[in-house]
Amino acid sequence: MKNPLLRGKLPWVIAALIVLFLLPVFLDRFYVYLAAIILLTGLSATSLNFVLGYGGVFQFHHAVFYGIGAYGTALMIIKSNLSPWLGFIVGPVVAGILGFVIGVICIRLSKLYFGMLQISLGSLVWAIVYRWYSFTGGDDGIHGVPLPDIISSPNGAYYFTLIVTAVSMFILYRMIRSPFGSALQGIRDNPVRSEMIGVNVKLQQLLALTIAGFFGGVAGSLFVVVDNTVFPDMMFWTLSLELIIMCLLGGWFSFLGPMVGAGIIVLLRTYVSGLTVYWALILGIIMMLVIFFLPNGVLGYLDRFVKKKARS
Amino acid sequence: MESVLGFISPKILSQILVGLSRTVILFIVSSGLSLILGVLRIPNVAHGSLYMIGAFMAYTVSHLFGGGNMGFWMALVLAPLGVAVVSFAAERSLFQFLYEREHLMLLLLTFAMSLVFGDLVKMVWGGEYRSVPVPSIFQGYINLFGGLPFPIYSFFLLVVGPVIAILLWLLTNKTKIGKISRAAAVDREMVGAVGINVSWVFATVFIIGCLLAGLGGVLVAPTVSVTLGMDHTLIMEAFLIVIMGGLGNVWGALLGSLIFGLTQSLGILVWPQFGIVFPYLAVVVVLLFRPTGLLRSTW
Amino acid sequence: MKRYSFLALASVLLLSVLCVYSVSQAANTIKVGIVDTYTGPATTFTNDVLDGFKLAVQKINASGGILGRKIEYTTRDEKFKPDIGLAMAKELVLKEKVDILMGTINSATTLAISDFVRKEKIPFFVTFAKSDKIVAEKGHRYIFNMNENTEMAGRAAAIALAKKPYVKYWIAGDDYEYGHAIAEGVWDNLKKLKPSVQKVGETWWKVGEADFTPYITQILAAKPDFIIVATGGSGMVNFQKAAKATGLSQKVPFYQHTATELSVLAPQGQNAPEGVYGTANYFFYYPDTAQNKAFVADFKKAYNRNPRIGALYGYMTAQFIAEGYKKAGKIDKEKFVTALEGMSLDSPVGKLEIRKCDHQLLLPMYFGVTKKDAKYEFLTASGIETIQGKDYVPSCEEVLKHRKK
Repeated sequence: MKNPLLRGKLPWVIAALIVLFLLPVFLDRFYVYLAAIILLTGLSATSLNFVLGYGGVFQFHHAVFYGIGAYGTALMIIKSNLSPWLGFIVGPVVAGILGFVIGVICIRLSKLYFGMLQISLGSLVWAIVYRWYSFTGGDDGIHGVPLPDIISSPNGAYYFTLIVTAVSMFILYRMIRSPFGSALQGIRDNPVRSEMIGVNVKLQQLLALTIAGFFGGVAGSLFVVVDNTVFPDMMFWTLSLELIIMCLLGGWFSFLGPMVGAGIIVLLRTYVSGLTVYWALILGIIMMLVIFFLPNGVLGYLDRFVKKKARS
Repeated sequence: MESVLGFISPKILSQILVGLSRTVILFIVSSGLSLILGVLRIPNVAHGSLYMIGAFMAYTVSHLFGGGNMGFWMALVLAPLGVAVVSFAAERSLFQFLYEREHLMLLLLTFAMSLVFGDLVKMVWGGEYRSVPVPSIFQGYINLFGGLPFPIYSFFLLVVGPVIAILLWLLTNKTKIGKISRAAAVDREMVGAVGINVSWVFATVFIIGCLLAGLGGVLVAPTVSVTLGMDHTLIMEAFLIVIMGGLGNVWGALLGSLIFGLTQSLGILVWPQFGIVFPYLAVVVVLLFRPTGLLRSTW
Repeated sequence: MKRYSFLALASVLLLSVLCVYSVSQAANTIKVGIVDTYTGPATTFTNDVLDGFKLAVQKINASGGILGRKIEYTTRDEKFKPDIGLAMAKELVLKEKVDILMGTINSATTLAISDFVRKEKIPFFVTFAKSDKIVAEKGHRYIFNMNENTEMAGRAAAIALAKKPYVKYWIAGDDYEYGHAIAEGVWDNLKKLKPSVQKVGETWWKVGEADFTPYITQILAAKPDFIIVATGGSGMVNFQKAAKATGLSQKVPFYQHTATELSVLAPQGQNAPEGVYGTANYFFYYPDTAQNKAFVADFKKAYNRNPRIGALYGYMTAQFIAEGYKKAGKIDKEKFVTALEGMSLDSPVGKLEIRKCDHQLLLPMYFGVTKKDAKYEFLTASGIETIQGKDYVPSCEEVLKHRKK
């Protein structure tokens, strides 16, 4: 339990949390909104990295869980007469179940095939949501989802997002550091050996996929809080690829990598779009630079840099 | 559903024929993708972009030559070559350094390239819809099976498809370079050790694969509006077909394309509103029973 | 390799820093923020809107601006993704502090932004999205629809089709909200005007479908009198090409909303199918009034191409913004909105009014059929029947009834 690495970082984490809590005090409304978006996108990317970076699973269509979590929450709030808070539980639970179901179907395949099958299944889910206009609003999406008063104001939404994200990140972090997480990484590095020392590879992966789906759904329900809308685009494969890019950019061998990646992408997208129409070009070039020169992402690079300094 | 009762066998036959012409474009593009994935082990997301570039180049070439018949034939020859040149540049400057990397990185890299290509197309050609006219010998249609029109251009495609399939099969199985590339797909070092310049072999395969994408783009151009975003519509289907058929396997790409095209056109008869779901279901079914694809893949 | 890594990282950081620096704007301007799709197939339409808007803004600024202030505008590309579109709208309002929002061709984005501007009380001019929810269910004080919606288009088409002898109809189209809405708009209204019409079948294909032959053969087998084809965007050209290739256009007449527009007919040149019925809001060659000719000449001089429908939307939006402020007399949001209600301006297609009850712009609709034209390289609309805005727009009660929900 006494983790030397964590001890060194704990003061930083606490400081960061304090700064984040005080954000609305010294930042304009727009930046608070942006921060909320970064937090929930980062959570989504982190949940993806749970299976991708730590599990070595080719999770190519993670956006499905994010989208289903959002739709589950929104539909629950709008269509049922129950407490809206229930929506925030239903959404992620549905996403987790979907993660399990899709996992069961795809688990017998590996690597590229796993990814492609997941894309096919995810696209089927997308198509159903897209076409079921009477229930889901189709490609128009759902707008103006009513929220409980405490979280409907911009600051309220931000704090709710911050708290939920922090708690979720903490849970995910503990899981990575637990024997479960070690087994997962063992499976990533050497599935045959893991099997031989008694690890039930398929079960572990299935559990990981369910957890990843659940927290992806949490991120989706946070989107409903921040933007009050849902769209079918939230579960389109291009968003899944963006999430993978965030993990890559930030560094997928580090826990906070995906969050950093999310932050960079969201900030860049916001500012670059104000300057040029060719955002895709710039993103593409940045991606290529990162792949060639920073294969372990920004955090991976910084980590190496720091270690080198420590040694010298 | 009531429409099914009105259908008799000739209609199903004509629906099959119609599904086949769509299959040809899918096949040509997917076979290129299959080659690149099978031999070079690169999941080339930029394949869709090259398809789109092929279509846009077809527009430009056909325009240069007056837009009529001459324009089409010149485009058919020059546009794929143009795409080949672009891919050669990309290969020499980028891809040749990537052959040993892991798949996920390659996937992301080719995705990055597709973003770059997409915006480059926007810069060069702008946002307008373009159109390539069908050459006059292929204009019009033939009445099949009692009054159902089948465009002559589709017949042209039905001829081109098998021709390309046979040419590809000859290339990969009967020529020296084909055999070398298949060997290199399995064991690159060994092939290098016997003194063959593997780098150039891979470059050749890459260019041929991309040329096929461009050719697909040219062939489809007279039937659709050439617009931005064409790259996205095709790439997912192409990947699914390749996975279904078996990597690096030309006949696999053909089989996959057939399944895809036919399940869609026949699915429309069964359930008109959900016709598009059938190809995806087919992929799921195939992968569940034959996880590595229907036919033998190269790795 | 280490040095390169560092360089790469440094350049990424530098890029990020440069991006944070936002261009400072002169005070005392009227800022318009435009969120629209400038990526993908929709770009051909949205460029028109922007160019039309720019043309008007140049003129307005040249003659002194509005109440002494110049109009300034900035664009954001939402890439047809509603979540990005909404984020950009928020950025424009909360960070760039724009006075007015304009956009977008994506109905989902428009509805999401509509929700946002209602809370923020920022006037929002909708320039290409055609969902009828915009002014009906989700309408409010701050939103102005500067183009027709699917219900209106459907009614106009129904008015024209009810006069024709066709009875057995087949409905087909792109399987998304716009497709279904147009089809319903036409069919429901046609049935009301002419109860004897029958629907013999329906077909829906995925958006972006490139191969229509299987669907066309199925439709032809059912032998309908007429087909209502609800396509949008690039589907328009794709379907027309397929119709020509299979000879459908000669066998069974069909209708598409915007079939007669330049953006659909021009790319096909002489090869576009003849005999296709369509409704459209604007042609550069009709009506042949002095106003229209002047507009076309100005646009051509500035952009070296003929104006299309988007140009009219953008141009008129700028005009209304200018006149709205002038009538209000001061730069006051609420007075601006009130001034616009019921305002009527001259335009290349005649007088246009923003209806007071729902803020819908009442454009004329032209129903015509495609035909070869010796004067141009492309087909044009012939036999044009003009349906005035007030004749095909749903009544105020009908629209407002949706809002009470």
